[in-house]
Amino acid sequence: MRQQDFSDRHPSFMAGLEPLSRRGFLRGSVLAGAALSAGCARLLGRKEAPEALEYEHLEPNEVRTLRRLTEVLIPASEGLPSSIEEVPTLGNIDSMAGKMPPQTRELFGLALWVFERRPMVSFSFTRFSNLDDDDALEYIRSMQQASFFERGLTTTLKTVVTLNYWRDERTWPALDYWGPVTEKWGVTRLGNAPLPRA
Amino acid sequence: MRNVNVPRDGVPVTQAKDVAADPSLGKKFRLRADVVIVGSGGGGSVAAYELAKAGLDVLVLESGRYYPSSRFTEHLGDSMQLIWRDQAGQVNTSADVVFAEGQCMGGSTVIGGCVMQHPPDWVFQRWVDNHGLADLAPEKLAPYFNQVGQEQQVHVNESHEINACAHKVIQGCERMGFSWQPVTRNVKRCALTGHCLAGCPSDRKMSALVTHLPWASAYGARMFADTQVTQVRTRSGRATGVDAVVMDPDSGSEVARMAVDAEVVVVAGGAIQTPMLLQRSQISDPSGQLGKNLAVQPFTQALAEFPEDLHAFRGALVGVQVDEFFDTDGYFFYSGLAEPEQMLAQGYLGAGQDHIDFMKKYKRMAALNAFSIDEGNGEVQWEGDAVNGSKKIKWNPGRSEFENVKRTAALAARIFFSAGASRVYLPTYQHLAVDSVFDLDQTLDQVDYGLNGMYTFRMNSFSAQGTCRMGLDKYAAVVDPDGECHETKGLFVADGSLFPEPMPAPPQWTVQVVAKHIANRILERRDGLFIQGNSA
Repeated sequence: MRQQDFSDRHPSFMAGLEPLSRRGFLRGSVLAGAALSAGCARLLGRKEAPEALEYEHLEPNEVRTLRRLTEVLIPASEGLPSSIEEVPTLGNIDSMAGKMPPQTRELFGLALWVFERRPMVSFSFTRFSNLDDDDALEYIRSMQQASFFERGLTTTLKTVVTLNYWRDERTWPALDYWGPVTEKWGVTRLGNAPLPRA
Repeated sequence: MRNVNVPRDGVPVTQAKDVAADPSLGKKFRLRADVVIVGSGGGGSVAAYELAKAGLDVLVLESGRYYPSSRFTEHLGDSMQLIWRDQAGQVNTSADVVFAEGQCMGGSTVIGGCVMQHPPDWVFQRWVDNHGLADLAPEKLAPYFNQVGQEQQVHVNESHEINACAHKVIQGCERMGFSWQPVTRNVKRCALTGHCLAGCPSDRKMSALVTHLPWASAYGARMFADTQVTQVRTRSGRATGVDAVVMDPDSGSEVARMAVDAEVVVVAGGAIQTPMLLQRSQISDPSGQLGKNLAVQPFTQALAEFPEDLHAFRGALVGVQVDEFFDTDGYFFYSGLAEPEQMLAQGYLGAGQDHIDFMKKYKRMAALNAFSIDEGNGEVQWEGDAVNGSKKIKWNPGRSEFENVKRTAALAARIFFSAGASRVYLPTYQHLAVDSVFDLDQTLDQVDYGLNGMYTFRMNSFSAQGTCRMGLDKYAAVVDPDGECHETKGLFVADGSLFPEPMPAPPQWTVQVVAKHIANRILERRDGLFIQGNSA
């Protein structure tokens, strides 16, 4: 059996998420503080990175979370195109978000909001998008093994990101996947089936 | 004698862009037909064909886009975005069960895995015994099954249609002593591309897009895509037509409003959409069962890694089924590993280098899709007004259903270990994989039922059914044995929503058979249904 148990490597690692309920009282104040800082930043005229403007349907803060998640989930690897620079993973997600029914879109936004802020309880008030690579990876892994809500949230976001990367055919040679073949093989189209005999 | 010509390719469909470009239609227009059919999938297309062939003026309205097979790219990601409902993101209220559905001309027949299964006779005998559906007795349905089987070119997979994935399943079954058999599929001269779920670009899958829709069109049926029916209109207990909105499929903006006057309305949107349309339309339902009894036939996928390269995505997508537990437990299993995107339906996924390593094993993977029968305790509800409201799909596994899902996952894993798998990735929301059959039970025990079984197994449903169940008793069933709503004359249902009990088989063949039966009943009763005398 191979089941990854991160508590072996980091005795206090899983506990990083556990204090959520015990320190629930902190959460409100931390999040209120974060909201206040975001509001102040806006008031003081801090501008979002120009890259956020590339996306039509995602909010700048969502882009930030998704970009970091993409970088951490699918790091540079030999033989694979970059998940940020080459494959338009975020662009694909943006397009997907634009076609989501309003209810789903709202849930997706909420999921990103929670995912971004959840580490503030366990990683010294740091948001996900500000975690360094190691911490970000640890955070994702621990979320995957945490309560049903957290693993659901994490699995959903991971699926969205990875789906929008691996759907790009530039990633397929590394998988030895043949991709579309009908044209390559010269398979002829049969057209409509003939009308059944009465 | 009528001159009937089936178009060589494609179907004449009016799309939103055509409506927008036609100044004579304007922002509101009205059409009339003998029969308006809502939905163009397995049920709607068969009903359209049968009724148009009989000379009725048939109008088919489809909420999805018209995406002809000549445009299929064999990219699952593209198809999911364009022709799968909600981009394959239609989920239950707790967002952990995916309800896959086609939303395009041809509906789910376009994106399905081509599996056609004739359910055992005892299923229909129960319909007779428990729900008074004498016309659906096995011997009465048999000719319909034959007819649909011929129309759909249904055949048992031949040896060249059994790919490496299926061979691993066969190997495992042989060692376990489990019964298996080649799958029956509706494919004509399969090109063995493995791209069924993305739509077949060479028209070999006998989807409605290349069979019943062009045939219906040849008999004069008119078709609109991008047209969302908002409600069925009724007057004095009779259906009188439908109201619909034509939407641009890319921007989602309204192009025009359509009203259709028709004496017969056939709703065939599938077990999720049909009850919601009837709810929006406030159709009288003395049974109180409208939208209830949702059965989902949950399935998970066990993914197995083998020491050698398999390239199991090559060849016919679905090769064999394991039928050992079909009669005893209602479990059934189909081999099938699709595009790389399918790997992402696993809980394992990993992160960082782990994730990349996992994906790079794709060529050494085989997959077995494990289905179980549920109890039909789910519910579909439309909340809010007809245009801006929203759907709610309420289904989470009960304890026994959860145990069934767990058992099917375990059986699938055992089959693969018997076939020599070095690791099996379990279909859970937890990050679970097993390297030995001896650790399987212990590992699966880590998945506990928790709160309503939420976020335990990664379950999907391709076969929702039961939400407008059929029966003789109007206080127990939504539609009568003819498929007509008990309290609304001229309003028929012709899809999987009318199955009176959860059925342990993929539903497409049965849906098409039942739609044929309902179309025939409409024709037999045409004098009473078309009172304005405008039927042919």
